[in-house]
Amino acid sequence: MDRYGNYLYAYAMSRLRNADAAADCVQDTFLAGIKALERFDGSRDIKFWLRGIMRNKIVDQIRKSIKENKVDIDNEDETLLESFWFKYSGIATTNPDPWQFNPRKAYDNTEFWDVFNVCIDKVKPPARQAFVLRMLEDMETEEVCKVMDITPNYLWVLLHRARQQLKVALEEKWTGKDVK
Amino acid sequence: MFTCKQVSHSLSKEDYAKLSLTKRLFLQLHVKLCIFCGKFNRQVMDGQDMCRHFKQYEATNCQRAAELPEEQKNELKALLAAQTAKSSES
Repeated sequence: MDRYGNYLYAYAMSRLRNADAAADCVQDTFLAGIKALERFDGSRDIKFWLRGIMRNKIVDQIRKSIKENKVDIDNEDETLLESFWFKYSGIATTNPDPWQFNPRKAYDNTEFWDVFNVCIDKVKPPARQAFVLRMLEDMETEEVCKVMDITPNYLWVLLHRARQQLKVALEEKWTGKDVK
Repeated sequence: MFTCKQVSHSLSKEDYAKLSLTKRLFLQLHVKLCIFCGKFNRQVMDGQDMCRHFKQYEATNCQRAAELPEEQKNELKALLAAQTAKSSES
């Protein structure tokens, strides 16, 4: 608990952004870990084994939160987004804005990842939940759609929105104006 | 031949691997030739790359971001001790 409690809590917090839900996840993970301890073969670090258990708990928490606040599929928004990008023929009309800084050059800076973690919070749900499941938890598109009860096309819209919001937040925080 | 819309859908959904060889070649050609899709592809790749690096970073430094409050930690310790005692009895 002393060794892995903070690691698991921080991991859950970066995915759920809710202190109570993250603490619940840690508790459920340890309880499930104790029950399944006989099945732990020692082939990998116990920290990552516990993280594997926690991944399922995080998905459960997200599923629960989606049930409570059902994803409002905004078809008008989807149409708007598409018409902004493409002509009727499917040819692009707008270039995506380039980064205001080179993110690859920031990877070695530990402060950048702290900022990145803070910026995930700036992505609004349900785009954040889609981002967490697809990009951070590497879940397959079909699985994410099932958890969030959305279509693959809407997931595509949410992921695009998440990428855009994350980029704006990172540029704001990282270009030196507002680095905390 | 793909349109920009089809290319960006395919890149976003990351279903590239599911495409046939011919379609993949057409997609690669489009991304190389089209300024929009080249930039869009770069942005999607940057996002994936960033997440991959973040996960590597957090595997060793995640606890920097947040700490489980001491009170909750103690409650949890007590709960786990009770649970362990219960399972060793049975």
